[in-house]
Amino acid sequence: MSDQPLLQLDNVSKFYGSITALTGVSTSVAAGEVTCVLGDNGAGKSTFIKILAGVHQQTEGTIRLAGEKVTFDSPRDALANGIATVYQDLAMVPMMSVWRNFFLGSEPTKGIGPLKWIDTKEAKRIAKDEMAKMGIDIRDTEQPVGTLSGGERQSVAIARAGYFGAKVLILDEPTSALGVKQSGVVLKRIVEARNQGLAVIFITHNPRHAYPVGNQFLILNRGRSMGSFGKDEIDVNDLTRLMSGGAELEALEHELRDSGATS
Amino acid sequence: MNEYDSPDTATEAAPIGETSTDTVVAASAAGGDERLAYRSVFQRLFVRPEVGGLIGAAGIWIFFWAASGTFGTVGQTFTWLDTAATLGIMAVAVSMLMIGGEFDLSSGAMTGAMGMLIIYLVKETGELGGLGFPMLIAIPLSLVVALCIGYLNGFMVERTGQPSFIITLGTFFALIGLKLGLSKRFVGQIQIGRTDEASDFDFFRPIFAAEWARNDHPFELRDFFYISIFAAGIIIVLLAVCELWFQRADERKPIGLVDFIVGLGLGIAAAIALHLTDGVGVNAAIAVLMAVAVFLGMYGWVRWRYEPIENRGSVALDERMRKFLGLGFGLVVLGAVVAVLIDSSSTHEFFFPFTTQGIRVILLLAFTTAGMALIAMASQAALSSSPATKGAVTSVLALAIAVVAALTFIDSEAAKFRASLFSVLLFGAVIVFVWGFVVSRFVERRVKSASADHLGGRMLILGIVSIFIGLAFRMMFITEAELLAEVPPAKTSIRLFWFVAFTATMMWILARTRFGSWTFAVGGNKEAARQVGVPAARTKTQLFMLVSVAAWFVGLLVAFRINSIQSNAGDGQEFFFIIAAVVGGTLLTGGYGTAFGGAIGACIMSMPLAGISAARWNTDWRFLIIGVILLLAVVSNKYLRNRAEAIRR
Repeated sequence: MSDQPLLQLDNVSKFYGSITALTGVSTSVAAGEVTCVLGDNGAGKSTFIKILAGVHQQTEGTIRLAGEKVTFDSPRDALANGIATVYQDLAMVPMMSVWRNFFLGSEPTKGIGPLKWIDTKEAKRIAKDEMAKMGIDIRDTEQPVGTLSGGERQSVAIARAGYFGAKVLILDEPTSALGVKQSGVVLKRIVEARNQGLAVIFITHNPRHAYPVGNQFLILNRGRSMGSFGKDEIDVNDLTRLMSGGAELEALEHELRDSGATS
Repeated sequence: MNEYDSPDTATEAAPIGETSTDTVVAASAAGGDERLAYRSVFQRLFVRPEVGGLIGAAGIWIFFWAASGTFGTVGQTFTWLDTAATLGIMAVAVSMLMIGGEFDLSSGAMTGAMGMLIIYLVKETGELGGLGFPMLIAIPLSLVVALCIGYLNGFMVERTGQPSFIITLGTFFALIGLKLGLSKRFVGQIQIGRTDEASDFDFFRPIFAAEWARNDHPFELRDFFYISIFAAGIIIVLLAVCELWFQRADERKPIGLVDFIVGLGLGIAAAIALHLTDGVGVNAAIAVLMAVAVFLGMYGWVRWRYEPIENRGSVALDERMRKFLGLGFGLVVLGAVVAVLIDSSSTHEFFFPFTTQGIRVILLLAFTTAGMALIAMASQAALSSSPATKGAVTSVLALAIAVVAALTFIDSEAAKFRASLFSVLLFGAVIVFVWGFVVSRFVERRVKSASADHLGGRMLILGIVSIFIGLAFRMMFITEAELLAEVPPAKTSIRLFWFVAFTATMMWILARTRFGSWTFAVGGNKEAARQVGVPAARTKTQLFMLVSVAAWFVGLLVAFRINSIQSNAGDGQEFFFIIAAVVGGTLLTGGYGTAFGGAIGACIMSMPLAGISAARWNTDWRFLIIGVILLLAVVSNKYLRNRAEAIRR
């Protein structure tokens, strides 16, 4: 879509001592696009996220943000550069209300001089509006986050990242713990975020979740990049095969089909 | 899930008539989301952490009020309120620290240490040491020391990453050692005095130790003000409950308003008549008049504003309800029998440590509470049945309350003050009866209405504030008649004001400021808070400093009150602060609680002390009572929280 990708990775590698966690990963994501990072357990997805979120730094390779070479020294640094990460275990306080969680750490205040208080009315209104933009009607923003469903919680986190000026949104397995319907809700949020002009990096091990929303697909297997593909270059079955390392899964599928027929 | 949405409710409701089921369906459709059962304001109220504490406080107050002749008098009330004030300032600060997920075991010893430091700074130079500073220097200087200790606590906890329990245990012993060692080194004894040697003592005394002697302030119109404000408060609370409870009608019926005004006028007339006349027969007639007034007023108001139920169905008590009602009512009557059988005038010790009177009260309360609880369970079950059934069950409850009232009236020869219990209970019975009547005839609101919630909420607060203003009026002034009857002198101090002011400020900070939000966040999920940019370490350190500043302030108040301080003052008090916070609904693991809960907890902790001596029991048993209160509070808070969570889902 756009000429220059917002975030571009060239040949990024990460070694922990003698252990190779990630080698030669290249991909890119543009504003208003979704890049899916697919991989089975142990494929190097976590390392990939941690490098982008500033938790770890790459050993080799370069990351370019809007064309400029960058390294993120800390999570705050990444955040300041507009890269927001929504972790699987979510940065939320379950016993606090939706609006307090939404604004946690960046509450809007009003007041005189040093005496400042939270503009609760405004905060609740914004939280409700932002959630509505995501297509979620939060009945009561005073509701504790702990009482929301997993999908709704993901949505709060995504809406929050978008509102606080994230340009790149990294989602770490947002659908892995959810049921079919809830996953659908989250996928819809991803599309909403994309349509609002965010660059989304969607990490998952479920190709069926990735394929409908993604523009680019980066496939990782045992720390190696299996390639980065556009949507027109690949289909769901290829994704699955590449993720698992090809032939093994097909063999397994045959085996399962046979045993199913005999029983 | 609310009972209204469960499928078996629908089948149960079917024989009642189609209209009522239709209303339920329509109401839930209007609410928008069928998965979310409407949580009434009262259900949401029970989600609040301090509600358990409030109920507990009321229960303990009633217990000691019934068990003794003097608890509940103005003098006794001021006594325990004064204890609650210094305890409460600390409990509120400790609650906040605990919401932030940390403990401070040094907080008790710190109150004593701060008091001693202040006295040492101001006491005259001479052979027994002392620096002879004016308060003007000593107060800020000691504040700086307090801030440093708090900072040190926070710094060590954050740097080492060790539990604050262990770190502040260290500070605790260090402070005890310093108190003992330094006081022996500099003053040569373990007691240090006196505060009044400060050159500007007289200037600061009114700020930290001003006292108000009630008996010096006769005010003839007191009862007029007290009763009017108090009664107005109760009326406003009742109307607020109606506003929150019922569905507003599309068109109002002015005829109801006429009823309301007639009822109100009748009530005022009856009150005046009660004031002017005397005699049992006349009083009974006036009581009936009052009941009619309450009925007319409340029914009229509801008739004016709210939507009537078209088809009320018939009374259908199922097996369970009948069992609960029968058993419950039986227990209440049993309580009455016990109370009449055991001689109330006896004061000898029946069973160590209680007097016969104590046993009687315990049995009476146990039976009646159990009975009331069973009836309450029946009404819980009746919630999902026809309006007529609801009304019937509520009437039984009213009847049970009336039985208890009649019982206390038999008793009232033993102690005059029980006559007021009789009127209170009778009034309660009337209210419950009228409530049952109204509830069975008007539609309960099952959808969110911002304007009704807002108006009802404001009215509720206004009503409660009026009730407290009325009570304060009664407590601050004395009438000529009471002076003649030689009511014992009662004193209140400015400490109470500081307690209220501190609690209110902390409540505001928790609810309205970023610091308050962050306090909840670092206690609820510190890692998450840090990830979104909350300065977690700084927030926790500031909380430790808040506790030490509170300790400094309490030390100051104590120094002004008792003039000289023992070096062991305050040691061990930290457990009382923690208990008060927990009783007030604060979670030990952090992230949940209120400042107000801490204040309520402090009241609960100080009531038994005054109550036990008022009931002439052995005061050694107070710790047992405090322990039992703590255990009960923990269990009931857990229960309330689980219920609250169940309602939310």
